Amino acid sequence: MSATSAPAQSNPSADDAEQKKLPHELLSKEDCLEIFRQLFLARYFDVRLIKEKKRGSLKGTLYSSHNQEAVLVGTLYGLRPNDWISPIHRDMPAFFLKDIKFQWRNADRMGLSIDSICAQVYGRVDSPGRARDNWSHIGSRAKHIIHSTSMLAGTIPVAAGVLYADRMAGGDAVAVTYNGEGSTAQGVFHEAINYAAVHKLPLITVIENNQWAYGTPAELEYSLEDFARRADGYGIPGWVADGQDVFDVYDKMMQAIEYARSGKGPSIIECKTFRAYGHGDHDDDRAAKYRPKEEVERGRARDPIAMCRRRLLELGYLSEDQAKLFMAEGKNAMETTNEDFPPEVVEFLSEGIEFAKKSPLPAAEEGAKWVFGGEA
Amino acid sequence: MSAVAATPNLKKNYLTGLKEALSEEMQRNPHMLIHGEDVGILGGAFGVTEGLQERFGKDRVVDMPISESAIIGTAVGMALNGMTVVAEMQFIDFISCGFDQIVNNMATYSYRTAGEVNLPIVVRGPAGAYGGGALYHSQMNEAWFCNSPGLQVIVPSTPSDAKGLLKAAIRSGNPTIFYEIKQFYRMREIEEILPEGDLLVPLGKAAVRRDGSDVTFVTYGNNVIHCLKAAEELQEQGISAEVIDLRSLVPLDEETIFQSLAKTNRLVVVNEAPMTCGFAGEVIARVCDKAFEYLDAPPLRVTRLDTPVPWVKPLEDYVLPSVEKIVHAALRVVRF
Repeated sequence: MSATSAPAQSNPSADDAEQKKLPHELLSKEDCLEIFRQLFLARYFDVRLIKEKKRGSLKGTLYSSHNQEAVLVGTLYGLRPNDWISPIHRDMPAFFLKDIKFQWRNADRMGLSIDSICAQVYGRVDSPGRARDNWSHIGSRAKHIIHSTSMLAGTIPVAAGVLYADRMAGGDAVAVTYNGEGSTAQGVFHEAINYAAVHKLPLITVIENNQWAYGTPAELEYSLEDFARRADGYGIPGWVADGQDVFDVYDKMMQAIEYARSGKGPSIIECKTFRAYGHGDHDDDRAAKYRPKEEVERGRARDPIAMCRRRLLELGYLSEDQAKLFMAEGKNAMETTNEDFPPEVVEFLSEGIEFAKKSPLPAAEEGAKWVFGGEA
Repeated sequence: MSAVAATPNLKKNYLTGLKEALSEEMQRNPHMLIHGEDVGILGGAFGVTEGLQERFGKDRVVDMPISESAIIGTAVGMALNGMTVVAEMQFIDFISCGFDQIVNNMATYSYRTAGEVNLPIVVRGPAGAYGGGALYHSQMNEAWFCNSPGLQVIVPSTPSDAKGLLKAAIRSGNPTIFYEIKQFYRMREIEEILPEGDLLVPLGKAAVRRDGSDVTFVTYGNNVIHCLKAAEELQEQGISAEVIDLRSLVPLDEETIFQSLAKTNRLVVVNEAPMTCGFAGEVIARVCDKAFEYLDAPPLRVTRLDTPVPWVKPLEDYVLPSVEKIVHAALRVVRF
């Protein structure tokens, strides 16, 4: 399918599908099982941290990506190591999922180690930013991960600038920015995508449409059926993905990557998903009241782990017996146990948390350092 | 019969100093880029970037959409990925449209990455009143950025400083807000012969523009001229005024101020920004903290009234610092 003049609802038609296999249909069994494991990695990161906080070992607000894991795994899986990403608060697992494929513990890979991410969550000196800003406000120039601030959509122009410089240096990287639907109302969202479109930069704007911007529902945020139509205004393609279906997200992402790498320019992918809990864990109790119960139940019913599991069964990549193992889906953090997750997932994160707990706090006087560059 | 050869005018104006700085640094650093509104085809609203696109190409001198957040935000990304960027604000007043990208993103990058990422970005633009530019083409909003840790704030007042400070800022590796005084761009009376060679003026070093013994004027930008004229008038009354041009607000050269006060014991700080929370108040606070014993009179400030800059001349004159107001303040501290 050509995306050159892609209309908003440019999902592949039945005809196209017959002629050409979808990108996920070209994935090996090994890849599909790795994708499945990565969904568990993201989910376990979420539920384990909530438990750690309830046990009192952890302070600070947690912004859950529960129920939105397919967006992260599906968009990250097809990237090359040197591509750039710009995750925000609800994308915490993206920092370690980037370039993690089959090499979870390789310190040299182009993603941050689980140790450093845990050190960041715990506010310890081994965090990539030496615990100077909280939660997802980290990154790494060396690993091609852009550092975010709390001003949402503010990293989209940064990603565009990174790509401009990459092109000047003869590179072929793409950049992916993650955004809630809430941040699409910011002026800088428009400024940055307009600029990227003018310069045909390989910028992929992923909109995680989880229906709620903190306490404000979608109908008070925008007046579109599909966000992908925003792309029309910039003369760029837009795709709509089922954000609960990791393989559909992967398919749309691979089309966007192909479009970007062939020099045609930026695009938008709207992943329709649902925020399972509060804006942050401080908001869980209130979110249970300000959101209609039926809406929440409907949104949680399409669990991305369950959907991936069904697909792997259909493909024969999981046997009936294997498919009965690790039933994390449909459970909130406190309902899960470690038996609901593959042991390698539990082990991977447990090691990170143990590392973080042993990492010291930064020295107090570091608070006055590095206001300007060039300080040792 | 003898022919008298016309003496060539070797003096250059402030705008030429800036232009030379940009073209020399672009020549020196192939990873440097200039972007902003109308900087390429047009060569800038005031002509500061004239000829640069022809010389360095459309990829390195880039006309931007009217999007200050994107101008700053993309500069951050380019610098994150190895480039040096000079971003023009068509008028420094418009910088407010890119404010978040400056104070929360660019300014904090070194701090929040524990020094992993330093951003060599200079945001420059025409600034200052005294030209009938009215509310949105007259501002000196330097206090906003002095109050945002992580930014260098520079205000040159001579052609050689315009050149040497801009070159130094570009090479400093740190984000800088660079205030060009638009009244000075083509002002004949400040033209000067620029030093030969690679002119670099260190950031954080004030210049004593006139020696004096009775009162110290601390100022920068447009008001340097006013303070020098006030010093002339005071001389006729037998009062000797020293004039310090700060040039660099962040980093600030406190030492030059204190040394002057050790001699004059009297201080008047002059700036054209509004009074409340302005830089004049900061200078006085630092003097009170660290050099109070030098003072024989309460320090005074002469600033704009706490108003926007109005358009027509009687209104603009009324609210801005003037030679007359500066003389008046000097007489108050001298006669205290």
